[in-house]
Amino acid sequence: MPPPGYCPAVTAPLDVPETTAQAVAPVLVPGEAVAGRSPWRIAWTRLRRDKVALAGGVVVVLLVLVALAAPLIVGLLGHPPQEFHYEKIDPDLQVPTGSFGGVSGDFLFGAEPVNGRDLFSRVVYGSRISLLIAFLATLLSALLGTFFGVVAGYFGGWVDTAISRTMDVFLAFPLLLFAIALAGVVPDRAFGLSGDALRITLIVFIVGFVNWPYVGRIVRGQALSLREREFVDAARSMGASNRRILLTEMLPNLVAPILVYTTLLIPTNILFEAALSFLGVGVRPPTPTWGGMLSDATRWYQIAPHFMLFPGLAIFITVLAFNLFGDGLRDALDPRSR
Amino acid sequence: MRRTRRLAAVALGAVAAMALGACGGPSTGGSGGGTGGGGDTAKAEANAGIGGIANPSDAKGGTLRMANSSDWDSLDPADTYYAYAWNFARLYGRSLVGFKAAPGKEGAELVPDLAESLGTPNADATQWTYRLKPGIKFEDGSVITSRDVKYAIARSLDKDTFPNGPTYFNDYLDLQGYEGPYKNPNLDAFTAVETPDDRTLVFKLRTAFAGFDYLAGLINTIPVPQAADTGARYKEKVVSSGPYKFETNELGKRFTMVRNPNWDASTDPIRKALPDRIEVAVNANADDVDNRLFSGDLDVAIEGTGVQPAAQGRVLADQALKANSDNGLAGFTWFTVLDDSVAPLDNVHCRRAVLLAADRTGYQRAYGGATGGDLATNLMGTNIPGAQQFDLYPSSGGTGDVAKAKDELNQCGQPNGFTTSISFRAERPKEKAAAEALQQSLARAGIQLEIKPFPAGDYAKLYAGKPDYSVANKLGLKVYGWQADWPDGFGFLAQVVDRRVIKAGGGNTNLGIRIPELDARIDQALGETDKAKRDAIWTGIDRTVMENASVLPGVWAKGLLYRPPNLTNVFVTGAWGMYEYTALGTTRR
Amino acid sequence: MLAYVARRIVAAVVLLGIVTVATFAVFFLVPRLAGATPQDLAARYVGRAAGEAQIQAAAERLGFTDPLYVQYGRFVKGLVAGAEYDTGASVEQCPAPCLGYSFITQNPVLPDLLDRLPVTLSLALGAAVLWLVSGVAIGVLSALRRGSAFDRAAMGVALAGVSLPIFFTGLLTLSIFSYGLGITAPGGSFTRLDENPLLWAYDLLLPWITLAFLYSAAYARLTRAGMLDTMGEDFIRTARAKGLPERTVVVRHGLRAALTPILTLFGLDLGLLLGGAILTESTFSLPGIGKYSVDAVVQNDLPKVLGVVLIGSMFIILANLVVDVLYAVVDPRVRAG
Repeated sequence: MPPPGYCPAVTAPLDVPETTAQAVAPVLVPGEAVAGRSPWRIAWTRLRRDKVALAGGVVVVLLVLVALAAPLIVGLLGHPPQEFHYEKIDPDLQVPTGSFGGVSGDFLFGAEPVNGRDLFSRVVYGSRISLLIAFLATLLSALLGTFFGVVAGYFGGWVDTAISRTMDVFLAFPLLLFAIALAGVVPDRAFGLSGDALRITLIVFIVGFVNWPYVGRIVRGQALSLREREFVDAARSMGASNRRILLTEMLPNLVAPILVYTTLLIPTNILFEAALSFLGVGVRPPTPTWGGMLSDATRWYQIAPHFMLFPGLAIFITVLAFNLFGDGLRDALDPRSR
Repeated sequence: MRRTRRLAAVALGAVAAMALGACGGPSTGGSGGGTGGGGDTAKAEANAGIGGIANPSDAKGGTLRMANSSDWDSLDPADTYYAYAWNFARLYGRSLVGFKAAPGKEGAELVPDLAESLGTPNADATQWTYRLKPGIKFEDGSVITSRDVKYAIARSLDKDTFPNGPTYFNDYLDLQGYEGPYKNPNLDAFTAVETPDDRTLVFKLRTAFAGFDYLAGLINTIPVPQAADTGARYKEKVVSSGPYKFETNELGKRFTMVRNPNWDASTDPIRKALPDRIEVAVNANADDVDNRLFSGDLDVAIEGTGVQPAAQGRVLADQALKANSDNGLAGFTWFTVLDDSVAPLDNVHCRRAVLLAADRTGYQRAYGGATGGDLATNLMGTNIPGAQQFDLYPSSGGTGDVAKAKDELNQCGQPNGFTTSISFRAERPKEKAAAEALQQSLARAGIQLEIKPFPAGDYAKLYAGKPDYSVANKLGLKVYGWQADWPDGFGFLAQVVDRRVIKAGGGNTNLGIRIPELDARIDQALGETDKAKRDAIWTGIDRTVMENASVLPGVWAKGLLYRPPNLTNVFVTGAWGMYEYTALGTTRR
Repeated sequence: MLAYVARRIVAAVVLLGIVTVATFAVFFLVPRLAGATPQDLAARYVGRAAGEAQIQAAAERLGFTDPLYVQYGRFVKGLVAGAEYDTGASVEQCPAPCLGYSFITQNPVLPDLLDRLPVTLSLALGAAVLWLVSGVAIGVLSALRRGSAFDRAAMGVALAGVSLPIFFTGLLTLSIFSYGLGITAPGGSFTRLDENPLLWAYDLLLPWITLAFLYSAAYARLTRAGMLDTMGEDFIRTARAKGLPERTVVVRHGLRAALTPILTLFGLDLGLLLGGAILTESTFSLPGIGKYSVDAVVQNDLPKVLGVVLIGSMFIILANLVVDVLYAVVDPRVRAG
């Protein structure tokens, strides 16, 4: 499908050693720099040689720019995303006149059935919602996952047990179902918010919250093995506080895996947001979202296939770019996977 | 009424979404695509089933294959509120009186069914008497008595068991506190319906009701043998009094019906009963249903709401398909209610500004363009006998008059416009399109709308139909639609514009229209026995509602119905605004 | 070994218990936090002519006015011993295990779910076989011809596969193969296996392929990585040195070692899929558990939602359990840990 929360590289088996996640990090031991080449430099050199990953990275940057500059781009190349263009629509068939949904220099992706809104503008604006939610939700997952993962891995014992079991409970839920049910019952005015702001906040929290165990599990595994390393022992024997060890010894060494898996979580979250919008519990109309457009397109794809094609391709390209870049990043940071 | 109310139940993202109302209607004027197109044979002609009979035949036999892209609310006559369900129920049940099986307006006339004649009222129309024809039998051969009819009505009163069915008998019978046989098994306590002998029924009403025959025609009067009643489970095995009885019934999936040997055609002025067997599939995919109609694998799409957008494109573009289609006015009016308790819409000038600023062609496009319906100018469409069309808010081409709207805004004290919310039923893409179109066109006058979708199942109960919720959330505009429970002014208007039916607890079908002067006129219409005078009162009420700008009329719905060539005796009846199911036959053996 | 399995089973049961508590709490607390009163909840289940007294009576009759733990206790009791629901007119039986009773459709939830299970099961199992076979085959071939055109093309397609949402590919394949070329069944088609096996396969072919495409991509990638890992290990070199045929080396030694994590993932995916074929079934309009759950959410039918979440969780936990046990069989070290 893949179900949201499903990310092949991240899905680690429950209660089995994190086979896919082990030893991803170049361990940053203070003073380890060999001949002036820090692990980060090595990784950067590797990444630079990986043309595919770089291409993915470039597309990601472009997409972010498109999202940021959406009003500018639409101003130059399109029509306002909410503006109706009845003149583009065949009054009997309700679909745009002209070939392939009325694709032309004026309407780059053609027009939406019924109301003739500029599909290009809507796809461009859709990237804002998609990326905003994916980034924020991923950030939330990463923060929660890192915190609980490090704490569980470092302290071990009952703390570890409690956190690990909690993560098990999360992973045992049909998360998408849970998410749509939750997004469906929240009223349209809550927490002092309303409209798009409320929906976006809500979805960020739902997506971010259901996905944190994926990060948490990996970080825990890493922290578990780091805990036994000499430099942690050394710090401990020198009387460093737990807080200090966590912040200055453990965390810097966890940056690499966290970076890799949060990068790989972004595309998963983009798909998750699209799925929620597709199922009708995302950001409200008329604000354009890719999943919402696909949902609308289900009524029209037999006679107006362009309506499903452009938002679908937008999701595909975005997710692919993030996956390519994330894969490259992982390869660069983890010599074993080469 | 809201016979498509629970169509909502269909899947969210799925292709099954549909929102059109019933379709086809008695508009003999051919307000649809005209009778152009003419196929290769003389028989197949577009709109032949409107005002006339397409492919007439008396040949019996064969299997009629029907499919429903959603599901019945219930097959139990006490618990269903869809137009198609009322139409279909006539295949397995007979009510006291019923609509004539005839094309167009004639189909909206009542004729006696179980009863010997239409009802006999007392002087002030508060008491009505019916006499059953002798010797009509249930499927098991037992004779139907007046007590069976009385029992059926009694059980239909229990809305805890049957939440879906109409409530007219609860509202108008002089119940004296009687709550139905499940709470009070003593049927003699149900004094509002008396059965002096096995063939006579006497109804006692709370108030005068000159159009009571319409109530006697409700499916609630389809007899139910008390011994076979299993309460909420009766829908699994309904005992037939009509020409067909259930053979198998897998609820939620499919059922089959075969001839009822104890049905006597000579007592039945309505039903033709041509096919030997009827097969019905439930919860089919709506697009799939259309494709199967075209390919000949299916005969009837039961909901009668017309084909989906994809199929509509094919029919309109293909002369051969178009020749086998009917596109006429239906009973539904799609409109938006302006809640007069939500400021600033409590001011009539602000409401008028909304009506003037709206681009009604956008509303029409949202419902499928000209094929989906005619531009509505008031509430009751011409499918209702006696109704009149008038336009109090004219604009060129129906696209709105922004200058006049701004003028009204000035009078309302909101010269720069105002902000309010518009609600719609989330599962209905056409209502969403209508809300978006209104958002666009009202913005021209500075009226800003925030769009709010709600689950259709709870729309009336918890949101748009709940007064305190509407005020708290500023639901000023509410996208909605209505079809008459029966084709007259009362059947259409009473549940939508009478302020006295608004309950504080929610569940209202009047979404916020409070016009005190209507109370007396509605009561007057109820007791008026002269039909012409009655119709005039209802038309006047319609006009007052428009003067008050309580409703933004959108579309008088039409649907594009497809009739496969093997289907015989096909016509759209004025009673339901869809094909008359008791008349259909098939040439496929 | 037995002790380990027993421990895992106990853990799984406890986990399921926690899941019910969490689900119950969320779905009963969230509407209340959002401002819904017990009367609001009850209003949805009474007839449209109901007055406030009637709504209040219904709220009490249905137990919505009771505190959360009382309602949860009732739910668990129903699960274990069955339950009776007073619908006002009659008392409806919901035999154990009672997953809940829908007051909207007026029937117990479990029979509904069992009724739809064959659809979801058919969908999941058929697709699973397809994706496992094709994914592993492609992965092995790619690993053996590392760097070749085949490898690069396969991995490219695989990456595309994991980047596509099924509600897009589903519509795409439907429009091309079902409505364009007319060679596969249109959306919404399903025939039971015991009614007509050929038609069953024909109806499900397109959903299977579409679903398998997304999953096999992940499996191809994982198999390839695993094969590359193991083929470099000492025991493979030893096997080759012994003069075993390359075919035997690859299949008996290489693939076998690489297969463990794949089977692990497979078990988990299957559990997830059974628990949530939501998007697939929505896209193809298949009347399975996934579509049922979306409908339940749309109608706000909480007993149904609760039931589906529980069934879904059960599948996932069950799959985990099976994987754990299998893992222990394969790898003795796990048992000790």
